[in-house]
Amino acid sequence: MAGKKQALFSAAILAGMCVLPLELGIYPQHVLIVSLFYAMMASSWNLLAGFTGQVSFGHAAMAGIGAYTSGILAVKAGLNPWVGVCIGTAFAALLGFGLGALCLKMGGIYLSLTTLAFSQILHIIIVNEYNVTRGTMGLQVPGLMEEYSKISYYYIMLAAAVLILAILYWMIHSNLGLNFRAVQNDEVAAKSVGVKVLRVRVLAFTVTSAMAGFAGGLYGHYLLLITPEIPSLDLQFKVLAMTVIGGMGSFFGPIIGAFALNILEEYIRIYGEYHVLVFGMVALVVARFAPNGLIGLWRKFRPMKSREAVK
Amino acid sequence: MAKIPTDEVAGGREIDKEESVALLEGHKVSKSFGGVQALSQVDFAVEKGTIVGLIGPNGAGKTTLFNAVAGALKPTSGRVVFDEADITGFPANAVCRLGIARTFQVTRPFAAMTCIENVMVAVINRHPEKPRPLIESSAREKLSLVGLAEMGGVEARHLNVIQKKRLELARALATEPKLLMLDEVLGGLNTQEIYQAVAFIRRLRDELGLTVLWIEHVMGAIMPAAERLIVLDQGQVLMVGTPNEVVRDARVIQAYLGE
Repeated sequence: MAGKKQALFSAAILAGMCVLPLELGIYPQHVLIVSLFYAMMASSWNLLAGFTGQVSFGHAAMAGIGAYTSGILAVKAGLNPWVGVCIGTAFAALLGFGLGALCLKMGGIYLSLTTLAFSQILHIIIVNEYNVTRGTMGLQVPGLMEEYSKISYYYIMLAAAVLILAILYWMIHSNLGLNFRAVQNDEVAAKSVGVKVLRVRVLAFTVTSAMAGFAGGLYGHYLLLITPEIPSLDLQFKVLAMTVIGGMGSFFGPIIGAFALNILEEYIRIYGEYHVLVFGMVALVVARFAPNGLIGLWRKFRPMKSREAVK
Repeated sequence: MAKIPTDEVAGGREIDKEESVALLEGHKVSKSFGGVQALSQVDFAVEKGTIVGLIGPNGAGKTTLFNAVAGALKPTSGRVVFDEADITGFPANAVCRLGIARTFQVTRPFAAMTCIENVMVAVINRHPEKPRPLIESSAREKLSLVGLAEMGGVEARHLNVIQKKRLELARALATEPKLLMLDEVLGGLNTQEIYQAVAFIRRLRDELGLTVLWIEHVMGAIMPAAERLIVLDQGQVLMVGTPNEVVRDARVIQAYLGE
Protein backbone atom coordinates (compact mmCIF):
# COMPACT_ATOMS: atom_id res chain seq x y z
CA MET A 1 0.00 0.00 0.00
CA ALA A 2 2.76 2.38 0.97
CA GLY A 3 4.66 1.39 -2.17
CA LYS A 4 1.65 2.13 -4.36
CA LYS A 5 1.23 5.55 -2.79
CA GLN A 6 4.90 6.27 -3.32
CA ALA A 7 4.69 5.25 -6.97
CA LEU A 8 1.65 7.48 -7.54
CA PHE A 9 3.41 10.36 -5.80
CA SER A 10 6.53 9.89 -7.93
CA ALA A 11 4.47 9.69 -11.12
CA ALA A 12 2.70 12.93 -10.21
CA ILE A 13 6.01 14.69 -9.54
CA LEU A 14 7.42 13.38 -12.82
CA ALA A 15 4.35 14.56 -14.75
CA GLY A 16 4.74 17.95 -13.10
CA MET A 17 8.42 18.04 -14.03
CA CYS A 18 7.48 17.33 -17.66
CA VAL A 19 4.96 20.17 -17.89
CA LEU A 20 6.51 22.72 -15.54
CA PRO A 21 9.27 24.23 -17.73
CA LEU A 22 6.86 24.97 -20.58
CA GLU A 23 5.47 27.81 -18.49
CA LEU A 24 8.86 29.05 -17.33
CA GLY A 25 11.41 31.37 -18.84
CA ILE A 26 14.95 30.53 -19.90
CA TYR A 27 16.47 31.35 -16.51
CA PRO A 28 14.28 29.08 -14.35
CA GLN A 29 14.75 26.36 -16.94
CA HIS A 30 18.50 26.71 -16.53
CA VAL A 31 18.17 26.44 -12.74
CA LEU A 32 16.13 23.26 -13.11
CA ILE A 33 18.64 21.72 -15.50
CA VAL A 34 21.48 22.37 -13.05
CA SER A 35 19.30 21.00 -10.24
CA LEU A 36 18.77 17.80 -12.21
CA PHE A 37 22.54 17.46 -12.62
CA TYR A 38 22.96 17.86 -8.86
CA ALA A 39 20.13 15.42 -8.17
CA MET A 40 22.04 12.78 -10.14
CA MET A 41 25.30 13.64 -8.37
CA ALA A 42 23.86 13.70 -4.85
CA SER A 43 21.77 10.55 -5.33
CA SER A 44 24.65 8.50 -6.67
CA TRP A 45 27.04 9.80 -3.99
CA ASN A 46 24.39 8.86 -1.46
CA LEU A 47 24.53 5.25 -2.62
CA LEU A 48 28.28 5.21 -2.01
CA ALA A 49 28.40 7.17 1.25
CA GLY A 50 24.93 6.67 2.69
CA PHE A 51 24.51 3.01 1.84
CA THR A 52 27.98 1.46 1.87
CA GLY A 53 29.56 3.98 4.25
CA GLN A 54 32.40 4.92 1.91
CA VAL A 55 32.60 8.71 2.23
CA SER A 56 34.41 9.47 -1.02
CA PHE A 57 35.57 12.96 -1.92
CA GLY A 58 36.29 11.88 -5.47
CA HIS A 59 32.74 12.01 -6.79
CA ALA A 60 33.00 15.45 -8.39
CA ALA A 61 36.30 14.30 -9.88
CA MET A 62 34.43 11.46 -11.58
CA ALA A 63 31.95 13.97 -13.05
CA GLY A 64 35.02 15.88 -14.28
CA ILE A 65 36.39 12.69 -15.86
CA GLY A 66 33.12 12.20 -17.73
CA ALA A 67 32.95 15.82 -18.86
CA TYR A 68 36.60 16.16 -19.93
CA THR A 69 36.77 12.75 -21.62
CA SER A 70 33.74 13.48 -23.72
CA GLY A 71 34.75 17.10 -24.32
CA ILE A 72 38.32 16.33 -25.37
CA LEU A 73 37.18 13.53 -27.68
CA ALA A 74 34.68 15.88 -29.30
CA VAL A 75 37.16 18.71 -29.73
CA LYS A 76 40.31 16.77 -30.67
CA ALA A 77 38.80 13.82 -32.53
CA GLY A 78 35.49 15.28 -33.66
CA LEU A 79 33.61 12.49 -31.95
CA ASN A 80 29.84 12.69 -31.60
CA PRO A 81 29.10 14.02 -28.08
CA TRP A 82 26.65 11.19 -27.33
CA VAL A 83 29.33 8.61 -28.07
CA GLY A 84 31.73 10.73 -26.04
CA VAL A 85 29.39 10.72 -23.03
CA CYS A 86 29.24 6.93 -23.22
CA ILE A 87 33.03 6.65 -23.37
CA GLY A 88 33.33 9.17 -20.52
CA THR A 89 30.92 7.10 -18.44
CA ALA A 90 32.92 3.95 -19.11
CA PHE A 91 36.20 5.70 -18.28
CA ALA A 92 34.76 7.02 -15.00
CA ALA A 93 33.56 3.49 -14.19
CA LEU A 94 37.05 2.15 -14.84
CA LEU A 95 38.67 4.78 -12.61
CA GLY A 96 35.98 4.17 -9.99
CA PHE A 97 36.85 0.50 -10.05
CA GLY A 98 40.53 1.33 -9.57
CA LEU A 99 39.87 3.85 -6.81
CA GLY A 100 37.50 1.44 -5.07
CA ALA A 101 40.07 -1.36 -5.23
CA LEU A 102 42.74 1.00 -3.90
CA CYS A 103 40.54 1.92 -0.94
CA LEU A 104 39.44 -1.64 -0.17
CA LYS A 105 41.42 -2.05 3.01
CA MET A 106 40.64 1.47 4.17
CA GLY A 107 37.74 2.81 6.08
CA GLY A 108 36.58 6.11 7.47
CA ILE A 109 38.96 9.02 7.29
CA TYR A 110 41.67 7.13 5.36
CA LEU A 111 39.34 6.39 2.50
CA SER A 112 38.16 9.99 2.49
CA LEU A 113 41.72 11.31 2.41
CA THR A 114 42.75 8.96 -0.41
CA THR A 115 39.80 9.99 -2.55
CA LEU A 116 40.51 13.63 -1.68
CA ALA A 117 44.07 13.17 -2.93
CA PHE A 118 42.79 11.57 -6.12
CA SER A 119 40.46 14.51 -6.65
CA GLN A 120 43.25 17.05 -6.09
CA ILE A 121 45.69 15.24 -8.38
CA LEU A 122 43.11 15.24 -11.14
CA HIS A 123 42.39 18.92 -10.57
CA ILE A 124 46.07 19.82 -10.80
CA ILE A 125 46.51 17.82 -14.00
CA ILE A 126 43.50 19.49 -15.63
CA VAL A 127 44.63 22.98 -14.67
CA ASN A 128 48.19 22.42 -15.88
CA GLU A 129 47.73 20.39 -19.06
CA TYR A 130 46.75 23.56 -20.88
CA ASN A 131 47.26 22.15 -24.38
CA VAL A 132 44.72 19.43 -23.87
CA THR A 133 42.28 20.90 -21.35
CA ARG A 134 42.69 24.67 -21.82
CA GLY A 135 43.34 24.87 -18.08
CA THR A 136 41.31 27.37 -16.11
CA MET A 137 40.24 29.05 -19.37
CA GLY A 138 37.93 26.13 -19.93
CA LEU A 139 37.39 23.86 -22.89
CA GLN A 140 34.80 24.93 -25.42
CA VAL A 141 32.83 21.89 -26.52
CA PRO A 142 30.00 21.29 -28.98
CA GLY A 143 26.46 20.78 -27.71
CA LEU A 144 24.43 17.61 -27.81
CA MET A 145 22.28 18.98 -30.63
CA GLU A 146 22.92 20.98 -33.78
CA GLU A 147 20.71 23.80 -32.61
CA TYR A 148 20.83 25.01 -29.05
CA SER A 149 17.50 24.67 -27.28
CA LYS A 150 17.10 25.04 -23.53
CA ILE A 151 13.92 23.06 -23.36
CA SER A 152 15.46 20.10 -25.24
CA TYR A 153 18.37 20.09 -22.81
CA TYR A 154 15.89 20.13 -19.97
CA TYR A 155 14.15 17.02 -21.25
CA ILE A 156 17.46 15.27 -21.93
CA MET A 157 18.62 15.96 -18.36
CA LEU A 158 15.23 14.94 -16.99
CA ALA A 159 15.35 11.64 -18.89
CA ALA A 160 18.93 11.05 -17.73
CA ALA A 161 18.00 11.79 -14.12
CA VAL A 162 14.98 9.49 -14.28
CA LEU A 163 17.19 6.74 -15.69
CA ILE A 164 19.84 7.17 -12.98
CA LEU A 165 17.28 7.42 -10.20
CA ALA A 166 15.41 4.36 -11.46
CA ILE A 167 18.64 2.33 -11.42
CA LEU A 168 19.45 3.62 -7.92
CA TYR A 169 15.94 2.88 -6.67
CA TRP A 170 16.14 -0.64 -8.03
CA MET A 171 19.58 -1.20 -6.48
CA ILE A 172 18.54 0.10 -3.07
CA HIS A 173 15.46 -2.09 -2.96
CA SER A 174 17.09 -5.23 -4.31
CA ASN A 175 19.24 -7.74 -2.47
CA LEU A 176 22.21 -5.58 -3.37
CA GLY A 177 20.78 -2.73 -1.29
CA LEU A 178 20.51 -5.00 1.75
CA ASN A 179 24.11 -6.11 1.25
CA PHE A 180 25.22 -2.49 0.89
CA ARG A 181 23.60 -1.53 4.17
CA ALA A 182 24.93 -4.60 5.93
CA VAL A 183 28.46 -3.61 4.86
CA GLN A 184 27.89 -0.07 6.08
CA ASN A 185 26.59 -1.25 9.44
CA ASP A 186 29.23 -3.84 10.25
CA GLU A 187 31.72 -5.31 7.79
CA VAL A 188 32.82 -8.14 10.06
CA ALA A 189 29.27 -9.25 10.75
CA ALA A 190 28.35 -8.88 7.07
CA LYS A 191 31.23 -11.15 6.12
CA SER A 192 30.20 -13.69 8.72
CA VAL A 193 26.77 -14.13 7.11
CA GLY A 194 28.21 -14.56 3.64
CA VAL A 195 28.28 -11.04 2.17
CA LYS A 196 31.13 -10.66 -0.31
CA VAL A 197 32.23 -7.40 1.26
CA LEU A 198 35.12 -6.65 -1.10
CA ARG A 199 32.98 -7.17 -4.17
CA VAL A 200 30.15 -5.07 -2.75
CA ARG A 201 32.46 -2.16 -1.97
CA VAL A 202 34.18 -2.10 -5.36
CA LEU A 203 30.86 -2.51 -7.14
CA ALA A 204 29.43 0.50 -5.33
CA PHE A 205 32.46 2.59 -6.32
CA THR A 206 32.28 1.49 -9.95
CA VAL A 207 28.56 2.04 -10.42
CA THR A 208 28.39 5.40 -8.67
CA SER A 209 31.49 6.66 -10.50
CA ALA A 210 29.90 5.69 -13.81
CA MET A 211 26.81 7.65 -12.82
CA ALA A 212 28.85 10.71 -11.90
CA GLY A 213 30.75 10.42 -15.19
CA PHE A 214 27.50 10.19 -17.11
CA ALA A 215 25.98 13.21 -15.32
CA GLY A 216 29.20 15.18 -15.76
CA GLY A 217 29.43 14.35 -19.46
CA LEU A 218 25.92 15.59 -20.17
CA TYR A 219 26.42 18.64 -17.96
CA GLY A 220 29.58 19.61 -19.85
CA HIS A 221 27.84 19.45 -23.21
CA TYR A 222 25.04 21.54 -21.78
CA LEU A 223 27.32 24.26 -20.41
CA LEU A 224 29.35 24.18 -23.69
CA LEU A 225 32.35 25.24 -21.62
CA ILE A 226 34.06 22.68 -19.39
CA THR A 227 36.14 24.25 -16.63
CA PRO A 228 38.00 22.78 -13.64
CA GLU A 229 34.96 23.90 -11.65
CA ILE A 230 33.33 20.55 -12.35
CA PRO A 231 36.01 18.30 -10.80
CA SER A 232 36.49 20.76 -7.92
CA LEU A 233 36.16 20.34 -4.18
CA ASP A 234 33.61 23.17 -4.19
CA LEU A 235 31.29 21.05 -6.25
CA GLN A 236 32.12 17.96 -4.19
CA PHE A 237 31.19 19.67 -0.93
CA LYS A 238 28.03 21.05 -2.48
CA VAL A 239 27.01 17.51 -3.40
CA LEU A 240 27.87 16.41 0.12
CA ALA A 241 25.83 19.25 1.66
CA MET A 242 22.85 18.46 -0.56
CA THR A 243 22.94 14.81 0.45
CA VAL A 244 23.32 15.48 4.15
CA ILE A 245 20.75 18.28 4.25
CA GLY A 246 18.28 16.27 2.17
CA GLY A 247 18.81 13.10 4.17
CA MET A 248 21.69 10.68 3.75
CA GLY A 249 20.77 7.03 3.44
CA SER A 250 17.29 7.66 2.07
CA PHE A 251 16.25 7.55 -1.57
CA PHE A 252 14.35 10.83 -1.83
CA GLY A 253 16.53 12.87 0.55
CA PRO A 254 19.38 13.75 -1.85
CA ILE A 255 16.92 14.64 -4.63
CA ILE A 256 15.09 17.06 -2.34
CA GLY A 257 18.41 18.39 -1.05
CA ALA A 258 19.72 18.96 -4.58
CA PHE A 259 16.71 21.01 -5.66
CA ALA A 260 16.36 22.86 -2.37
CA LEU A 261 20.01 23.93 -2.15
CA ASN A 262 20.46 24.71 -5.81
CA ILE A 263 17.36 26.91 -5.89
CA LEU A 264 18.29 28.49 -2.58
CA GLU A 265 21.69 29.30 -4.04
CA GLU A 266 20.04 31.31 -6.80
CA TYR A 267 18.12 33.37 -4.24
CA ILE A 268 21.14 34.15 -2.10
CA ARG A 269 23.50 34.76 -4.99
CA ILE A 270 23.01 38.54 -4.51
CA TYR A 271 25.00 38.33 -1.28
CA GLY A 272 28.08 37.47 -3.32
CA GLU A 273 30.75 35.68 -1.29
CA TYR A 274 28.46 35.65 1.71
CA HIS A 275 26.16 33.14 0.09
CA VAL A 276 28.58 30.44 1.17
CA LEU A 277 28.00 31.60 4.73
CA VAL A 278 24.24 31.09 4.34
CA PHE A 279 24.96 27.62 2.96
CA GLY A 280 27.06 26.80 6.00
CA MET A 281 24.39 28.10 8.36
CA VAL A 282 21.75 25.94 6.71
CA ALA A 283 24.00 22.89 6.98
CA LEU A 284 24.68 23.70 10.64
CA VAL A 285 21.04 24.16 11.56
CA VAL A 286 20.06 20.95 9.78
CA ALA A 287 22.89 18.98 11.39
CA ARG A 288 21.86 20.24 14.83
CA PHE A 289 18.07 20.02 14.63
CA ALA A 290 17.42 17.44 11.92
CA PRO A 291 20.33 14.99 11.84
CA ASN A 292 18.43 12.81 9.38
CA GLY A 293 17.96 15.72 7.00
CA LEU A 294 14.81 17.19 5.54
CA ILE A 295 13.44 13.73 4.81
CA GLY A 296 13.97 12.77 8.45
CA LEU A 297 12.12 15.90 9.52
CA TRP A 298 9.19 14.99 7.31
CA ARG A 299 9.11 11.44 8.65
CA LYS A 300 9.07 12.77 12.18
CA PHE A 301 6.25 15.24 11.73
CA ARG A 302 4.04 13.66 9.12
CA PRO A 303 0.48 13.06 10.34
CA MET A 304 0.07 10.25 12.86
CA LYS A 305 -2.66 8.80 10.69
CA SER A 306 -0.31 7.70 7.92
CA ARG A 307 2.16 6.29 10.40
CA GLU A 308 -0.50 4.12 11.95
CA ALA A 309 -1.60 3.03 8.52
CA VAL A 310 1.90 1.73 7.88
CA LYS A 311 1.72 -0.33 11.04
CA MET B 1 28.67 -27.58 40.67
CA ALA B 2 28.14 -31.14 41.84
CA LYS B 3 24.38 -30.83 41.64
CA ILE B 4 24.31 -30.47 37.88
CA PRO B 5 23.02 -33.70 36.37
CA THR B 6 25.84 -33.97 33.92
CA ASP B 7 25.63 -37.70 33.47
CA GLU B 8 21.97 -37.81 32.64
CA VAL B 9 22.03 -35.15 29.98
CA ALA B 10 25.31 -35.96 28.37
CA GLY B 11 24.62 -39.66 28.57
CA GLY B 12 21.44 -39.26 26.57
CA ARG B 13 23.38 -39.18 23.38
CA GLU B 14 26.26 -41.58 23.43
CA ILE B 15 28.69 -41.11 20.60
CA ASP B 16 29.75 -44.23 18.85
CA LYS B 17 33.49 -43.83 18.45
CA GLU B 18 33.64 -46.04 15.36
CA GLU B 19 30.92 -44.30 13.40
CA SER B 20 31.54 -40.73 14.39
CA VAL B 21 32.87 -38.51 11.61
CA ALA B 22 34.65 -35.26 12.31
CA LEU B 23 32.85 -32.34 10.69
CA LEU B 24 35.53 -29.90 11.75
CA GLU B 25 39.17 -30.66 12.39
CA GLY B 26 42.15 -28.56 13.30
CA HIS B 27 45.66 -29.79 12.69
CA LYS B 28 48.43 -28.01 14.56
CA VAL B 29 46.66 -24.66 14.28
CA SER B 30 48.90 -21.82 15.45
CA LYS B 31 48.37 -18.10 15.60
CA SER B 32 50.74 -15.46 16.84
CA PHE B 33 50.26 -11.74 17.14
CA GLY B 34 53.70 -10.22 16.95
CA GLY B 35 55.56 -11.94 19.77
CA VAL B 36 52.46 -13.31 21.48
CA GLN B 37 51.69 -16.94 20.76
CA ALA B 38 47.88 -16.98 21.08
CA LEU B 39 47.52 -20.52 19.76
CA SER B 40 50.24 -23.09 19.44
CA GLN B 41 49.83 -26.38 17.63
CA VAL B 42 46.17 -26.86 18.52
CA ASP B 43 44.72 -30.19 17.40
CA PHE B 44 41.00 -30.68 17.77
CA ALA B 45 38.01 -32.38 16.19
CA VAL B 46 34.28 -31.76 16.33
CA GLU B 47 32.16 -34.79 15.45
CA LYS B 48 29.05 -34.46 13.36
CA GLY B 49 25.88 -33.94 15.39
CA THR B 50 27.59 -33.24 18.70
CA ILE B 51 27.70 -30.24 20.96
CA VAL B 52 31.30 -29.55 21.83
CA GLY B 53 32.19 -27.02 24.45
CA LEU B 54 35.33 -24.94 24.18
CA ILE B 55 36.39 -23.80 27.62
CA GLY B 56 39.41 -22.40 29.33
CA PRO B 57 40.49 -19.52 31.52
CA ASN B 58 40.62 -15.95 30.26
CA GLY B 59 43.22 -15.47 27.53
CA ALA B 60 43.39 -19.18 26.76
CA GLY B 61 42.82 -18.51 23.05
CA LYS B 62 39.19 -19.62 22.72
CA THR B 63 37.99 -16.71 20.64
CA THR B 64 41.23 -16.69 18.63
CA LEU B 65 40.60 -20.32 17.72
CA PHE B 66 37.04 -19.39 16.75
CA ASN B 67 38.23 -16.58 14.54
CA ALA B 68 40.84 -18.81 12.93
CA VAL B 69 38.12 -21.31 12.00
CA ALA B 70 35.52 -18.75 10.90
CA GLY B 71 37.92 -16.82 8.69
CA ALA B 72 38.08 -13.65 10.74
CA LEU B 73 41.77 -14.41 11.29
CA LYS B 74 44.29 -16.33 9.22
CA PRO B 75 46.16 -18.99 11.18
CA THR B 76 49.93 -18.48 11.17
CA SER B 77 50.35 -22.17 10.47
CA GLY B 78 48.40 -25.40 10.60
CA ARG B 79 45.32 -26.61 8.78
CA VAL B 80 41.57 -26.29 9.33
CA VAL B 81 39.46 -28.96 7.66
CA PHE B 82 35.69 -28.64 7.40
CA ASP B 83 33.48 -31.25 5.83
CA GLU B 84 36.55 -32.89 4.29
CA ALA B 85 37.67 -29.68 2.61
CA ASP B 86 40.68 -27.63 3.60
CA ILE B 87 39.38 -24.18 4.53
CA THR B 88 42.55 -22.79 6.10
CA GLY B 89 42.71 -19.04 5.58
CA PHE B 90 39.41 -18.82 3.69
CA PRO B 91 37.68 -15.44 4.05
CA ALA B 92 34.72 -15.36 6.42
CA ASN B 93 32.14 -15.08 3.65
CA ALA B 94 33.47 -18.20 1.93
CA VAL B 95 33.53 -20.10 5.23
CA CYS B 96 29.92 -19.08 5.78
CA ARG B 97 28.90 -20.31 2.36
CA LEU B 98 30.43 -23.70 3.11
CA GLY B 99 28.21 -24.01 6.16
CA ILE B 100 29.78 -22.46 9.23
CA ALA B 101 27.81 -19.80 11.09
CA ARG B 102 28.87 -17.92 14.16
CA THR B 103 27.77 -15.46 16.79
CA PHE B 104 30.00 -12.87 18.39
CA GLN B 105 31.06 -12.54 22.01
CA VAL B 106 30.26 -8.83 21.83
CA THR B 107 27.18 -8.79 19.62
CA ARG B 108 27.47 -7.24 16.16
CA PRO B 109 23.98 -6.68 14.79
CA PHE B 110 23.41 -4.41 11.78
CA ALA B 111 22.39 -1.66 14.17
CA ALA B 112 20.58 0.70 11.80
CA MET B 113 18.64 -2.07 10.11
CA THR B 114 15.44 -3.66 11.34
CA CYS B 115 15.53 -7.15 12.86
CA ILE B 116 13.86 -8.67 9.84
CA GLU B 117 16.40 -6.98 7.54
CA ASN B 118 19.23 -8.28 9.71
CA VAL B 119 18.09 -11.83 9.10
CA MET B 120 17.22 -11.20 5.45
CA VAL B 121 20.85 -10.32 4.72
CA ALA B 122 21.77 -13.84 5.79
CA VAL B 123 18.98 -15.41 3.74
CA ILE B 124 19.78 -13.60 0.49
CA ASN B 125 23.40 -14.62 0.61
CA ARG B 126 22.41 -18.25 1.01
CA HIS B 127 19.64 -18.08 -1.61
CA PRO B 128 20.29 -15.12 -3.93
CA GLU B 129 17.70 -16.39 -6.41
CA LYS B 130 14.80 -16.51 -3.94
CA PRO B 131 11.97 -14.02 -4.61
CA ARG B 132 11.53 -11.28 -2.02
CA PRO B 133 8.34 -12.59 -0.33
CA LEU B 134 9.99 -15.97 0.29
CA ILE B 135 13.09 -14.28 1.69
CA GLU B 136 10.94 -12.29 4.07
CA SER B 137 8.90 -15.25 5.23
CA SER B 138 11.95 -17.38 5.84
CA ALA B 139 13.56 -14.52 7.79
CA ARG B 140 10.37 -14.11 9.82
CA GLU B 141 10.39 -17.82 10.56
CA LYS B 142 13.92 -17.59 11.98
CA LEU B 143 12.96 -14.59 14.09
CA SER B 144 10.02 -16.39 15.66
CA LEU B 145 12.23 -19.41 16.25
CA VAL B 146 14.36 -17.32 18.61
CA GLY B 147 11.34 -15.54 20.10
CA LEU B 148 11.69 -12.22 18.31
CA ALA B 149 8.59 -12.55 16.12
CA GLU B 150 7.18 -9.28 17.41
CA MET B 151 10.38 -7.32 16.83
CA GLY B 152 10.66 -7.67 13.04
CA GLY B 153 10.16 -3.97 12.31
CA VAL B 154 12.34 -2.68 15.14
CA GLU B 155 15.83 -1.40 14.42
CA ALA B 156 18.43 -3.68 15.97
CA ARG B 157 20.04 -0.86 17.96
CA HIS B 158 16.89 -0.63 20.09
CA LEU B 159 17.20 -4.22 21.34
CA ASN B 160 18.64 -5.12 24.72
CA VAL B 161 21.73 -7.32 24.99
CA ILE B 162 19.83 -10.58 25.29
CA GLN B 163 17.60 -9.75 22.35
CA LYS B 164 20.68 -8.86 20.34
CA LYS B 165 22.14 -12.29 21.11
CA ARG B 166 18.93 -13.91 19.96
CA LEU B 167 18.96 -11.82 16.80
CA GLU B 168 22.51 -12.96 16.08
CA LEU B 169 21.43 -16.53 16.58
CA ALA B 170 18.53 -16.07 14.14
CA ARG B 171 20.90 -14.47 11.66
CA ALA B 172 23.38 -17.30 12.04
CA LEU B 173 20.66 -19.93 11.59
CA ALA B 174 19.40 -18.16 8.48
CA THR B 175 22.68 -18.94 6.74
CA GLU B 176 21.61 -22.59 7.03
CA PRO B 177 24.80 -23.82 8.64
CA LYS B 178 26.03 -27.33 9.27
CA LEU B 179 28.19 -26.08 12.09
CA LEU B 180 27.01 -23.43 14.50
CA MET B 181 29.69 -21.65 16.52
CA LEU B 182 28.46 -19.86 19.61
CA ASP B 183 30.69 -17.43 21.46
CA GLU B 184 29.49 -16.94 25.02
CA VAL B 185 25.80 -16.68 24.27
CA LEU B 186 24.79 -17.18 27.88
CA GLY B 187 26.45 -14.10 29.34
CA GLY B 188 23.98 -11.93 31.21
CA LEU B 189 21.34 -14.63 31.66
CA ASN B 190 20.05 -15.79 35.05
CA THR B 191 20.00 -19.46 36.07
CA GLN B 192 16.47 -20.05 34.88
CA GLU B 193 17.19 -18.45 31.50
CA ILE B 194 20.43 -20.39 31.14
CA TYR B 195 18.57 -23.68 31.45
CA GLN B 196 16.00 -22.55 28.89
CA ALA B 197 18.74 -21.45 26.52
CA VAL B 198 20.65 -24.70 26.89
CA ALA B 199 17.49 -26.72 26.22
CA PHE B 200 16.84 -24.52 23.21
CA ILE B 201 20.30 -25.05 21.70
CA ARG B 202 20.00 -28.81 22.24
CA ARG B 203 16.62 -28.80 20.55
CA LEU B 204 18.07 -26.85 17.62
CA ARG B 205 20.82 -29.41 17.30
CA ASP B 206 18.32 -32.28 17.27
CA GLU B 207 15.75 -30.71 14.97
CA LEU B 208 18.06 -29.04 12.47
CA GLY B 209 20.76 -31.69 12.58
CA LEU B 210 23.35 -29.12 13.59
CA THR B 211 26.78 -29.56 15.01
CA VAL B 212 27.64 -27.01 17.69
CA LEU B 213 30.98 -25.65 18.81
CA TRP B 214 30.32 -23.57 21.85
CA ILE B 215 32.59 -21.23 23.79
CA GLU B 216 31.20 -20.69 27.23
CA HIS B 217 32.38 -19.02 30.35
CA VAL B 218 29.47 -20.20 32.46
CA MET B 219 30.77 -23.63 33.43
CA GLY B 220 27.51 -24.66 35.01
CA ALA B 221 25.77 -24.17 31.70
CA ILE B 222 28.19 -25.80 29.33
CA MET B 223 28.58 -28.89 31.56
CA PRO B 224 25.07 -30.23 30.98
CA ALA B 225 24.87 -28.88 27.44
CA ALA B 226 27.97 -30.37 25.86
CA GLU B 227 28.80 -33.95 25.12
CA ARG B 228 32.47 -33.21 24.94
CA LEU B 229 34.69 -30.43 26.14
CA ILE B 230 37.90 -29.10 24.70
CA VAL B 231 39.91 -27.31 27.36
CA LEU B 232 42.33 -24.65 26.18
CA ASP B 233 44.99 -23.11 28.36
CA GLN B 234 47.64 -20.64 27.26
CA GLY B 235 47.01 -21.37 23.61
CA GLN B 236 47.31 -25.13 23.95
CA VAL B 237 44.88 -28.00 24.30
CA LEU B 238 44.99 -28.99 27.95
CA MET B 239 42.62 -31.92 27.61
CA VAL B 240 39.61 -33.28 25.75
CA GLY B 241 36.93 -35.33 27.39
CA THR B 242 33.39 -35.64 28.62
CA PRO B 243 32.25 -32.95 31.08
CA ASN B 244 32.61 -35.42 33.92
CA GLU B 245 36.16 -36.31 33.04
CA VAL B 246 37.06 -32.67 32.64
CA VAL B 247 35.81 -31.43 36.00
CA ARG B 248 37.70 -34.17 37.80
CA ASP B 249 40.93 -33.57 35.98
CA ALA B 250 43.64 -32.13 38.19
CA ARG B 251 45.22 -30.13 35.35
CA VAL B 252 41.92 -28.40 34.58
CA ILE B 253 41.31 -27.52 38.19
CA GLN B 254 44.79 -26.16 38.40
CA ALA B 255 44.39 -24.08 35.24
CA TYR B 256 41.20 -22.55 36.53
CA LEU B 257 42.05 -22.14 40.18
CA GLY B 258 45.82 -21.89 40.14
CA GLU B 259 48.18 -23.79 42.40
